[in-house]
Amino acid sequence: MTDAQEDDIDLRSLSDDELIEQMHDDLYDGLQEEIVEGTQILLERGWGPSKVLDEALVAGMNIVGVDFRDGILFVPEVLMAANAMKGGMEILRPLLAETGAPPLGKAVIGTVKGDIHDIGKNLVTMMWEGAGFEVIDIGINKPVEEFIEALETHQPDILGMSALLTTTMPYMKVVIDELVERGLRDDYIVLVGGAPLNEEFGEAIGADAYCRDAAVAVETAKEFMQKKRNAAG
Amino acid sequence: MEIVRPEDIERIHEASLTILEEMGIEVMNDAALALLENAGAEVDHSSGMVRLDRGLVEQALTSVPPQVTLTPRNPDHAIDLGGTHLNFSLVAGPPNVHDRVQGRRSGNYTDYCNLVRLAQSLNIIHLIGNQPTAPQELPAATRHLDTYWANLTLSDRVFHATAIGEQRTLDAIHMCALARGVETEALVDSPALLTVINVNSPRRLDDALCAGLMTMARWGQPCVITPFTLMGAMTPVTLPAALAQQNAEALFGVVLTQLVNPGVPVVYGAFTSNVDMRTGAPAFGTPENTKANLIAGQLARRYGLPYRTSNANASNVADAQAAYETEMALWGAVLGGAHLVYHAAGWLEGGLTASFEKVILDAEILQSMAEILQPIEFGEADLGLDAIRDVEPGGHFFGTEHTMERFETAFYRPLLSDWQNYENWEAAGSEDAYQRATGIWQQLLEGYAEPPMDAAVREALNDYVTRRRGEIERVGLDFE
Repeated sequence: MTDAQEDDIDLRSLSDDELIEQMHDDLYDGLQEEIVEGTQILLERGWGPSKVLDEALVAGMNIVGVDFRDGILFVPEVLMAANAMKGGMEILRPLLAETGAPPLGKAVIGTVKGDIHDIGKNLVTMMWEGAGFEVIDIGINKPVEEFIEALETHQPDILGMSALLTTTMPYMKVVIDELVERGLRDDYIVLVGGAPLNEEFGEAIGADAYCRDAAVAVETAKEFMQKKRNAAG
Repeated sequence: MEIVRPEDIERIHEASLTILEEMGIEVMNDAALALLENAGAEVDHSSGMVRLDRGLVEQALTSVPPQVTLTPRNPDHAIDLGGTHLNFSLVAGPPNVHDRVQGRRSGNYTDYCNLVRLAQSLNIIHLIGNQPTAPQELPAATRHLDTYWANLTLSDRVFHATAIGEQRTLDAIHMCALARGVETEALVDSPALLTVINVNSPRRLDDALCAGLMTMARWGQPCVITPFTLMGAMTPVTLPAALAQQNAEALFGVVLTQLVNPGVPVVYGAFTSNVDMRTGAPAFGTPENTKANLIAGQLARRYGLPYRTSNANASNVADAQAAYETEMALWGAVLGGAHLVYHAAGWLEGGLTASFEKVILDAEILQSMAEILQPIEFGEADLGLDAIRDVEPGGHFFGTEHTMERFETAFYRPLLSDWQNYENWEAAGSEDAYQRATGIWQQLLEGYAEPPMDAAVREALNDYVTRRRGEIERVGLDFE
């Protein structure tokens, strides 16, 4: 199919099943406008936000995730897909909150003090958004006070921290120790990442998990959110 | 070797000037911003963005020396960066370390010291780059004192100042002066050490490294300005774009050194490779990396600057992939006219691991490369007509006078290669190169002898470390 023909598809003319299938394709192709439109159409047709999320967006991103894992999709394509997903989520998020459906998850992420390397952190941010998480990226070179302030302001489920240097990675422990000190540690899932880190380091500083790459960061965040929901339920 | 036409080098140069003039470089250090602004650069203080007009760049390039000699405490181990000189450094910076006996582990001081001992034992490793592995069990704020101490006592080669801020840099300079038995001021005109200033590509120079750069330049020590540019992530995916950006970032650092101290030696650093677009993972020793190594040499020569590049690979073990990627990168570096090849020995896992076996494998590759670069000059005797005349058709040359006079040194003698026939190799234990490398580094460490150091110098160094450790523990460090 040529691009011109694709442009011609009138999403409103499709049946629900056809539209869902089309949205899976559009997610795969990273078409944010189409995903936003498809999401609105399904809502107009009386679909609940949870059903739109599960059947159109999450199911579509699962296909993307599998093809990324298998080396079929390239990083730029996955980021485009994640961006399309983010467009749909922005419409659904307030509606989901109204229905009282358990949120997929909210995260605060940042690169720790002394470190300005953030490409990996930015990839994780986009991939988390692609998985439906709401992500507040507080940026680079962040001291403990700013992490704490962001946690208090945004009340996320997850705290993500990154570092690329062996001289800055110990600062992650400073942040975690401060959380412990304030009795806040158990309120958050703490995930850490960065090239010089490893699982042993993650354990030693008291993080919940070390994520070796962006794809693992997504899987790990989902697992911990599932556990949290189960515990709450 | 020049693989890009001179007029295309000019197009890359012009693109770099456009980047510097129109887009600028973000500088996160106030002192550097003030210096740049005073010199006439356009500085946006709210964003830290600095735009340089081409006049500032041209001006800086008039004061850069084409060559610099670095003298460590043993003057026999001085190195020249520039001209026809080629220097190889030990791997620098990995958070992990690996050998075939103990496996993979976090960087630690014991392994750090052993890697320095290996570098000292191998003549083909001319200098110690940044920490060959990060000794992570040591406190980050005083770790540099321990690593400088090891560099200065376990070796007598040139090493690399950890230029994260002014204080770590000054500690290196002072300790080098103590080791040479001179006042620190004497190092200004006779530099002893170097550092690498990585530009945080794209287009950002961080606070701590700016402070390090300015300290080095003030004290007459060379910075190697090295944008670390992974195409696809940190630059566009096309090689000309990556080189234009790398070149702009390197030139920016060069300008800053000359503003601090006109005429201070500075090295053009290049480290351009590509990521795997399927995963985002860095790749090295790729055809693109090799081409970048070649072309960056053309750019460095255009500016009359000494040239540094790297010898890297992405393999997770010291295997065939590690060897062929290393060879690719190294040929690019050597044919590109590099004066300094960083990470020349021991790099694995895209730089995340220092490997003892890889040090040995690389030493073999580097020694072979050095042998290839020996000039081919010969006299009549080397043409060997008499020897050829003396041996009848079907005879052999093992016993000729010509052979007897030369056989011991006629050919490069390998460190690692095994040239036995299959049966003899099998009888000797069927060890492959990777396994044999273990035996070699173990032997080198067993036979290692610390280079002699005057007792008074050692005491002065020890006093310095003790005093500074106390100070840092009490009042901290400029960049922790």
